[in-house]
Formats: sequence, structure tokens, C-alpha cells
Amino acid sequence: MGTSAIVMLLIGAIFLWGGVAAAIVNYTIHSRRDTRLFEHD
Amino acid sequence: MSEATALADRGRWGTKLGFILAAMGSAIGLGNIWRYPYVVYEEGGGAFLIPYFIAIATAALPILILEYALGHKYRYAGPFAFRAIARRWEGLGWFQVAISFFIATYYMIILGWCLAYIFFSFGSQWGEDTTTFFTGDYVGLSASFWDVGGLQWSVVVPLALAWALVLWILFRGVSRGIELASKILMPALIVMLVIIVIRAITLDGAAEGLDVLFTPDFGALSDPGVWIAAYGQVFFSMSIAFSIMITYASYLPRRTDLSNSAFIVGLSNAGFEFLAAIGVFAVLGFLAISQNSAVTEVAGDGGVGLAFITFPAIINTLPGLNTVFGLLFFGTLFFAGITSAVSILETSIAPVREKFDLSRRAAVGLVCGAAALISLLYATGAGLYYLDTVDHFLNNFGLVLAGLLEVILVAWVAKQLGPLAAHVNATSYIRAGAWWRWSLMVITPVLLGALTVYNFWTEVQVRYEDYPLSGLLVLGWGAVLLTVVLGVVFASVSDRGSAAGLDKSVGR
Repeated sequence: MGTSAIVMLLIGAIFLWGGVAAAIVNYTIHSRRDTRLFEHD
Repeated sequence: MSEATALADRGRWGTKLGFILAAMGSAIGLGNIWRYPYVVYEEGGGAFLIPYFIAIATAALPILILEYALGHKYRYAGPFAFRAIARRWEGLGWFQVAISFFIATYYMIILGWCLAYIFFSFGSQWGEDTTTFFTGDYVGLSASFWDVGGLQWSVVVPLALAWALVLWILFRGVSRGIELASKILMPALIVMLVIIVIRAITLDGAAEGLDVLFTPDFGALSDPGVWIAAYGQVFFSMSIAFSIMITYASYLPRRTDLSNSAFIVGLSNAGFEFLAAIGVFAVLGFLAISQNSAVTEVAGDGGVGLAFITFPAIINTLPGLNTVFGLLFFGTLFFAGITSAVSILETSIAPVREKFDLSRRAAVGLVCGAAALISLLYATGAGLYYLDTVDHFLNNFGLVLAGLLEVILVAWVAKQLGPLAAHVNATSYIRAGAWWRWSLMVITPVLLGALTVYNFWTEVQVRYEDYPLSGLLVLGWGAVLLTVVLGVVFASVSDRGSAAGLDKSVGR
């Protein structure tokens, strides 16, 4: 595999999977901090 | 009736995880596995990731947040959420619902094929000539477009099984049906894909396949077609403009972080298809090495051919555990497809209940019964031609037009971006700010408009797949026209159900 292909693979992995992980962590932290979120009406 | 009682009556998610998994299940479908890898490969390789990321940020995530806000604010399915912001635009929602309904009719047949191929995986029953097996032995493809042929019972039986499973999920309702199925199927789907990818990247030739996929052609970025392809990919991939996300968000309780949910769903969908692309091109690299040819020669065009012709050939070539790999691959396709099919059908069931005051069982029976009858058309000898034609036209014209009209309505006609942003920001930690508004006011309409013109121009230049013009007019343009007509007809029928109180509730 060429260097440029490896770099693009890593960029995709970091942006996409890192983005998912960050969104889940953010959601979890805020859900715990504010238990009112997602309470049933 | 209190708001909570009314919400429980029409269905509600039991947990936040349940909603997120169901929305992910809707977005992650067959296209993530068999379309995305080829878009990357054909549109600049690794360089395609740049317009792709920009399209996610400026179209996919903003539209997802918009649709969550519409469903969550008005607590109605698509047609009535649109009517709540502009009385005469209910038809746009029904237009989207009609597109979803017809997509469900052929989506189910593919699920049936997946079930059959799960069975065929035992002992690689497709034999050495996988093309002849699929087109000849299995679907019994007719010689020409209008040579309908009889029903193929090898297709009808697994189709009936797929329908039975979908009916069972939908009959059980939002929480006990869709949510429960998503909680089981989505984690299983991700685990199965990870196993496939691990096996794929450890095969000989995997690096060659990934090299072909990711080597960037930065010159392609100056081609407007690449940018249109990036916006088209995120648009088709995220279950937007189908009314699905509006319906799903309408089942949410009041206090829900909408924008963060959209980020999780949108990025998970993108992350899944990125992983699928790695798996697909790694095994294509292996196939190329096995056949002593180049990856570009064995890659094909993706889609149905990749799943049911190329992959069986790859499975034949594997050094061991061929049956296990077949079960994993077709199981992955089936799991990805069934959660999407359920969401596509729920999009029709919810507004039919609201319009005609039907019980859930009656609405599920009516919608799925009609869709099941139509799906038999694709189980005929010429079904593959019909499926291909309807899919091409509904996606490239119906869906793109529906998305374009949706953003024009909300941003420019009803001017509702401000109130919807306020609604999102009241319960969300990631704010729908200037980025969100500019994306929906300018970038998304311009790109969807360009996509519409591009698709139309391409269509008039080259007759699709060289099918007869009569076939394209009847099943292609005819299907698009039918969805528009159904949109107008359903919007003009008087309300008998909960939708009757909508105008009063929004102060008209």
C-alpha cells in the first residue's frame, strides 16, 4: 500500500470513527450531568 | 387526552439507546455496503474523503437535525409535520411517504435474496459460475424487459419469509417491535462486519485492494461531478427526505438531545460505510491476486452484482471457512436491510394511522399487504429489470426532488429555521447555529438543485441501461409521477384521525 493511500485511510478512520466516539462520549457525559434529558414527559 | 397519553398511544421509544439504534438501523442499509465503496473508488479514491466530509458537515448532519426537529416539535409523521409549518404542503410529506412505500416494495425482494443466499452459503451451492447461478438459476432473468415471465418460486418463498419477519416486528409496535429488533440486530450487524473486515484485511492481496481504493487523485477535486457525487452519497445514505427521521423523532419524549443524536447517527452511518469499504476492497484485492488480474478488472460496478455474483465468487476462492464467511456476509446484508425496511414501512404506517384513524394492526396490515402484493412484480422473470428501473428513477429524481422541496419549504417558504433552531437548542448541547442555517438555506438547496440538473442531464444523454424507452417511461418516470399524484391525492382527502386536530393545535 502506498504512503498516500495509508494517509487517506488514517484520515478517514480518525475523522469518522473518532467523530462517532466523540459524539457518544459527549452524549453520555451530558446525559449523566443533566438527568432531565430524555426523561419521559 | 394528555400529551404523554397521546404520545404513548401513537408509539414511543422506551430508551434513548433504542431510538439511536433504530435511527442508525434505518440509515445503515444495503447502499452502505455495496454503493459507498464504489463511489469512493470511482470519484477520486482517498481524495473523495474531502468532499465527503464537507457534505456530511453541510448537508447530512444539518438535514438530520432539521428532520429530528420537525418530528419532535410537532409530534406527527412527515405529511402533518409539513402541514404544521405550511398548510398547503402536506402533499410534500405524502410524496415522500409514497417514495418510501415504493422503495420498500423492492427492498423486500433484496432481503428475500439475502435469505436465500444465507441458505445457499451452506456448501457454496451457487457453484463456480456465480453469474449464471444468480441471473439464470435463481432469479430466472427474462431475455427482455417486457418478457415478464412467471413468478419465480425460489424468490417468492424467501420473500414471504422476509415479509413475515418484518410484519412481526411492525405489529409489535415502536418500543416492543422496532426498538427491540434494533437493539438486537444493530450490535450483531456491527460485530459481524468487524469480523468480516478482520478476515478480509488478513487475506493475501488485501493491501492491493486498499491501495486502489484509497490512493488519492486530488485532481478529481476540480471536477464538479465529484462534489455532486459526495452530496448524492450522503443524501442517499442517511435516510433523509424519506420522512423516516421525522416519523422516528415524533416518537421521542420531549426532553431529548436532538443535535447530539443526529451526530451519533450520522457519523455512525458514515463510519459503518467506511469500514464496509475497507472490507469490500480488501476482498476484491484477494480476488484479483487469486485470478492473477488487476483489482480494477475484478471490481465490477457494485450493487446487486457485487453482493450476489462477485461475493459468491470470492467465497469460492477463500482458503477456508467458506460457509462461515458466506453466512456472515449475507447475514450482514440481511441485518442491514431489515432495519432499513422496517423504518421505510413505518414511514407509511404512521401517517396512514393519523389520517384515517386506524389501529396499528389495521395500518400495518393495509400498508404491508399492498406493498407485499406489489413486491411480487419483482419476483417475476423480468423483476430484476423492474427493480433496477424503479430504484434508479425513485432515488435520482423522486428522492432528490423531495429533499430539495423540503429544504426550500422550511428555509425559504415557511421561514421556519429560526423557530426550529430554537426548538433544537432548548434541549441540545450542540447548538444549531449559523453553520446549520447557512447549510440549509444556501449550500444544501444549491447542491441538491445541481444534483437534480445533473441527474436529468445524464438521463437525457444516455438511456438508462439501454432499457426500452417504453419501460423507462412506464416504470421509471411513471413511478416518479405516481408518487407525485399520490402525494396530491392523499393531501386532498379529508382527515378522520388525529391529524384532524392539527390546524387547531398550531393556531389556525
